[in-house]
Amino acid sequence: MSATDARPRTLIPSKDDDRGFGRQLPDLVRKRRTHYLADWFAPLLPDSRAVIFRTICYLFVIVDMHLIVRDPIPLSRHPELYRPLLLERMFSLPPPSLPLTIGLYLLVLIGSLVAAANRLPRVAGYLVAAGFTWWTAIGMSYGKVDHDHLALIVALWVLPTVGTIPQRWASRERSRQAGWALKCIQIAVVLTYFLSALTKVRSGGWSLTSWPESSILMWAIVRRPHGLGQFLAAYPELLHLMQWFAFAAELTSVVVLWLRGRALLVAALFWLSFHVFTAAVLYIHFAPTVICWLAFAPLERFGPWLRWVIAGWRKRTGRRPARHLVPVSRDQAVDGSG
Amino acid sequence: MIVKWSLTWRIAVAVLGIGLLLNGSLRMSDDVWPFGPLSQYAFSPPADATIVITRVEGRLADGRRIDLPLRVESAGISRAEIEARIPEITSDPSLLRTVVDGWTRRHSGAPEIQQVWLVQDETHLIDGRRGRTRLVELASWEVPR
Repeated sequence: MSATDARPRTLIPSKDDDRGFGRQLPDLVRKRRTHYLADWFAPLLPDSRAVIFRTICYLFVIVDMHLIVRDPIPLSRHPELYRPLLLERMFSLPPPSLPLTIGLYLLVLIGSLVAAANRLPRVAGYLVAAGFTWWTAIGMSYGKVDHDHLALIVALWVLPTVGTIPQRWASRERSRQAGWALKCIQIAVVLTYFLSALTKVRSGGWSLTSWPESSILMWAIVRRPHGLGQFLAAYPELLHLMQWFAFAAELTSVVVLWLRGRALLVAALFWLSFHVFTAAVLYIHFAPTVICWLAFAPLERFGPWLRWVIAGWRKRTGRRPARHLVPVSRDQAVDGSG
Repeated sequence: MIVKWSLTWRIAVAVLGIGLLLNGSLRMSDDVWPFGPLSQYAFSPPADATIVITRVEGRLADGRRIDLPLRVESAGISRAEIEARIPEITSDPSLLRTVVDGWTRRHSGAPEIQQVWLVQDETHLIDGRRGRTRLVELASWEVPR
């Protein structure tokens, strides 16, 4: 644990901590404004939610490197096709070579394992953020730029700011640090849809009807012939209807940021089924965005829920719960310290 | 004060990030990734569009002409990357060496490739429906021995 990681979580308002946001400000109007902004951008959320999300997110990065952005190493054999993006030119990043991409792969792999264990969250987290951003940028520097990684890249850059959580997954604290990181990821998820709608309006000559009325789904199905898409290709009118539906959903997606409880659950399930559907029609999965939907979920309830399920299962099968360890007389610890 | 600062920079970063993303989608190109427009499938092909699928075919030493699937696992490079370089490849077909090398490395037992073609399956839409498909040859390159 680094020295900076060990600082107290001063953003948690508490009775005896008047440095937190719980303090009384003399100017009530200002206080209300500050609180509104603070509550929206950095709500008080359980640290354990951020910690569990971190574990899932870093493990997903490893999966991503093998299944999604899996081509930087083979692509680095073709320097003649490399066209660096602005990001790579701005930081004067060296052109990809085999040693470089293999090194980057190992760095992100090891960093992700450490960060997934919630060890060295800042050091490992920023290493993974920088390494994976570069890795993905390389994958997109050979002509094709994908847009399914926006939320994941944002997640990797904001998660380290939550810092060390001493009790990690079992933490019962809440903080604005955790709230801010999760909110940023939520915003990135929603913007993935909303901005794609904006881009559609822009590319259609600032018209709201040109994209939904176009032959884009037919175009996509011809290019990516897969099961359900092949069937739907016979019904162009139905494809137009689907385009209108998707466009309207994307344009109104920002509403999700203000939903709570059951309404939020319904919205999340809607978007997840949207991705299942596009995967069935076009074989496009958007898995990195789908994973980031978990930033909306009350992940901290998973542990207690799992314990409850296991207890119920033991009760039904008549098995006793695991007993606590009882010291045995003259028992000795393995390292001899007991 | 550190607490206030801590919240201030967090809100500022969030607002700046949203601003950069909006700017990217409204004004910029893919070059500014990750702050570029979310332009996948965001264009509007007309009802009489011509849809092309770019492929690479190869003639093997045993005389067969086969499709060399443009996927990372089979050729070390994917279709999108080849498509993005069509103008370069048509002016210098030897760039197809990338596919030949990638395929050969992954098919060590197969007969060697003697010639490759960059081709496209062109499908014409008629009134928004799928019409006929024809094969168009864009470039060919004989692999030097």
